[in-house]
Amino acid sequence: MLDRCFGARRIRQIQRTFRHGKITILCLFLTVLVLRGYLGAGKFGTPEQDFKEIKDHLHFRKRAEPHRVLEEAQTTTTETTENNNNNNNYGTFDPTKIAVDEEGDDEKPDPNKPYSLGPKISDWDEQRTKWLADNPNFPNFIAPNKPRVLLVTGSSPKPCENPIGDHYLLKSIKNKIDYCRLHAIEIFYNMALLDAEMAGFWAKLPLIRKLLLSHPEIEFLWWMDSDAMFTDMAFEVPWERYKDHNFVMHGWKEMIYDEKNWIGLNTGSFLLRNCQWSLDMLDAWSPMGPKGKIRDDAGKILTRELKGRPVFEADDQSAMVYLLITQRDKWGDKVYLENAYYLHGYWGILVDKYEEMIENYHPGLGDHRWPLVTHFVGCKPCGKFGDYSVERCLKQMDRAFNFGDNQILQIYGFTHKSLASRRVKRIRNDTSNPLEVKDELGLLHPSFKAVKVPASS
Amino acid sequence: MGQESHTAQKRSGGAGGSLPTTTTRLSGRSSSGFSRGRQIQKTFNNLKITILCGFVTILVLRGTIGVGNLAGIADVEAENQNLIEETNRILAEIRSDSDPIDPSEPAEPEFNPNVTYTLGPKISDWDLQRKIWLQRNPQFPNYVNGKARILLVTGSPPNPCDNSIGDHYLLKSIKNKIDYCRIHGIEIIYNLAHLDKELAGYWAKLPLIRRLMLSHPEVEWIWWMDSDALFTDMVFQLPLSKYDQYNMVVHGYPDLMFEQKSWIALNTGSFLFRNCQWSLDLLDAWAPMGPKGPVRDEAGKILTANLKGRPAFEADDQSALIYLLISQKHWMEKVFLENSYYLHGYWAGLVDRYEEMMEKYHPGLGDERWPFVTHFVGCKPCGSYGDYPVERCLKSMERAFNFADNQVLKLYGFRHRGLLSPKIKRIRNETATPLEIVDQFDIRRHPVHQGSDPNSI
Repeated sequence: MLDRCFGARRIRQIQRTFRHGKITILCLFLTVLVLRGYLGAGKFGTPEQDFKEIKDHLHFRKRAEPHRVLEEAQTTTTETTENNNNNNNYGTFDPTKIAVDEEGDDEKPDPNKPYSLGPKISDWDEQRTKWLADNPNFPNFIAPNKPRVLLVTGSSPKPCENPIGDHYLLKSIKNKIDYCRLHAIEIFYNMALLDAEMAGFWAKLPLIRKLLLSHPEIEFLWWMDSDAMFTDMAFEVPWERYKDHNFVMHGWKEMIYDEKNWIGLNTGSFLLRNCQWSLDMLDAWSPMGPKGKIRDDAGKILTRELKGRPVFEADDQSAMVYLLITQRDKWGDKVYLENAYYLHGYWGILVDKYEEMIENYHPGLGDHRWPLVTHFVGCKPCGKFGDYSVERCLKQMDRAFNFGDNQILQIYGFTHKSLASRRVKRIRNDTSNPLEVKDELGLLHPSFKAVKVPASS
Repeated sequence: MGQESHTAQKRSGGAGGSLPTTTTRLSGRSSSGFSRGRQIQKTFNNLKITILCGFVTILVLRGTIGVGNLAGIADVEAENQNLIEETNRILAEIRSDSDPIDPSEPAEPEFNPNVTYTLGPKISDWDLQRKIWLQRNPQFPNYVNGKARILLVTGSPPNPCDNSIGDHYLLKSIKNKIDYCRIHGIEIIYNLAHLDKELAGYWAKLPLIRRLMLSHPEVEWIWWMDSDALFTDMVFQLPLSKYDQYNMVVHGYPDLMFEQKSWIALNTGSFLFRNCQWSLDLLDAWAPMGPKGPVRDEAGKILTANLKGRPAFEADDQSALIYLLISQKHWMEKVFLENSYYLHGYWAGLVDRYEEMMEKYHPGLGDERWPFVTHFVGCKPCGSYGDYPVERCLKSMERAFNFADNQVLKLYGFRHRGLLSPKIKRIRNETATPLEIVDQFDIRRHPVHQGSDPNSI
């Protein structure tokens, strides 16, 4: 009896212990859960954080999806069409296979040496004056009051990540070609990264310096971003206004010097004179540029000092604002902050008004009534993600392009069917006396393109 | 025994809260029924505990995460789908050629195949009109600094390419042309419009050339260049003095043309057209095979029948020109078939030899030692399929582009790391006296050929 009792008792004890254990564990689990929910458990995080992580993971997939789908969409459409030789099909080809990097890696710069754009030159004005005197065939003024200008723009040598990006770069450069042909301006389209230290928005600095020094015949260098388009083909920049200045940017004095606003000026479209002052300015501008720690730390300083600037690495525009604020005495008197016309025009406030402009005004004004430049800041059509909706950006870029293109096409008697349409229609019939036709805007043989008539004839 | 089980039950019941526990006095006599009841009660208790704990867990989780958000994961999926569809739609819209039909626009007149197509109203006195205009407008001379004014005309379809890599190479191609034309003082017109619906495709250049000739009497030569042709000799200049007695310069071979009547006896991918009455007449004689539809198809059959080696397809401008020159021999008096340099250079025989050329020769030759133009016939990167394997085409285009770019970058002290590499490396250190370099390396300072001005005294 006792044995059986003992055995049975033992069993029951075990069972009891087991049940106790179960309950204890259950309660412990509940407690941990509750505590985690309210206090968090360090690196294990709270359920909310867990959920955020899960959401981000899916969200990340969501953001990467469209790009991947864009690529897939192209390949699937071509796969369905019959092709006996897959090698000839552009749809299935991976463009990243083209580029081959040979001849070793970039030379590593000496971390102890402070960054410099190049050897210091102190007598550039004299060097240049002498060269111009020795080379009368390459004057720096092609007509009275008309300096020789080089428009500089550029993009990456690799295909855009966004499949539609290259098409908009192409339209943008055609737009610039048209304006520059009418205004006798030369173009340099850069696709080379001259200095790996100054990559990204800073890449223009070494390029500008190199071009100024290699082309002494250039009087003004006009930098223009690839996402900026000319929308007033008839407007000629008022060069005489800047005869005492060396650096012209679109901006407002109050916003820079009083408000210290980081968008008080815009470095997407500016004019820089080819002179010693500009070389010194570039040297003063560049220290915040070298990528890595210098640029990140500089970014923090700029965010702290400038109004409204978000937190990110130093960019050339904020650095210029900071330079002007802190060294106004040194640079301020030769910097012209232009706002009488849109040397840079923020697209957001301009693109919806094009039809109104066509109705009420005419090209040649350059200002809010008919902007010289419409600059698509933030759209980033070449990259994967911009700051604005893709549809709005691309559609508006088409409209701006057509708005400018209409002024070119009307020279030849055509116009786009609408600002959204790629198709053109005739607005003037052909005649057998084509030379008597005058285009409305006088852009066919504009005065700013006229060659100096030799004195003896 | 019974007591122990009783206490065990009581304990388990107590841990879960105030639960009624049934206490039963167990006796061995009604064991089976009794133990059955006990079992049921035990199971019941367990179940109660489980449910209670589950309830508490859900309560706690709800407090921290929220049930609504748990269902939110499904929403993210739906949002994901929407974004993909939206992007696809935008891309398809941009790629398609469709325009919203404007009901207020008059319907386009149907093409009547019985009416002979004309490029425009007949002009018979263009030489005189032009001469008078030039006399009246000395500020727009047709010879600048002793060189004839040339207008380079190129273009591509207004819609994005079928694949983004096509747009990327269009961009590189126009940069290449911008570089050559900047160095040699040539203006560029990049056409993105279909000026004439009838003459679409390769024929589109005819109405365009005519339009430009008539609008720009100051232009002496119009140089048509295909978008798939790249300059590979940046130093070479056209020997225009050779063509004083001619009005059209096209790369071709007389024996292929007149003896073999081959359809590739000449190439209309890169040719020169003088701005004169003769050229207008030639265009008028050239155009009739162009209008799309039955005219072009029928013409294609005639051409295939008469030209050696021509496959069967609709009439193209090149075959039509050959046929015209063969059948109406009087045109040949003013046509120069150039083959002493590569005004058009078929790519397949050239691209593999670039390294050999860089080793043995130098720019400025323009012929098979250093080709002036490398023309990627048949590659068609803007479409979906080419006549050659895609990888070969694209890699060769990249090599040709970099081969030419090296010649441009030389002035700035850089070159590409390899003919397939988008990265550049320094070949010359920066100096504090950059103008010595400019004197030595600027291509403009060392011209190879000079075009003569017949009007100069």
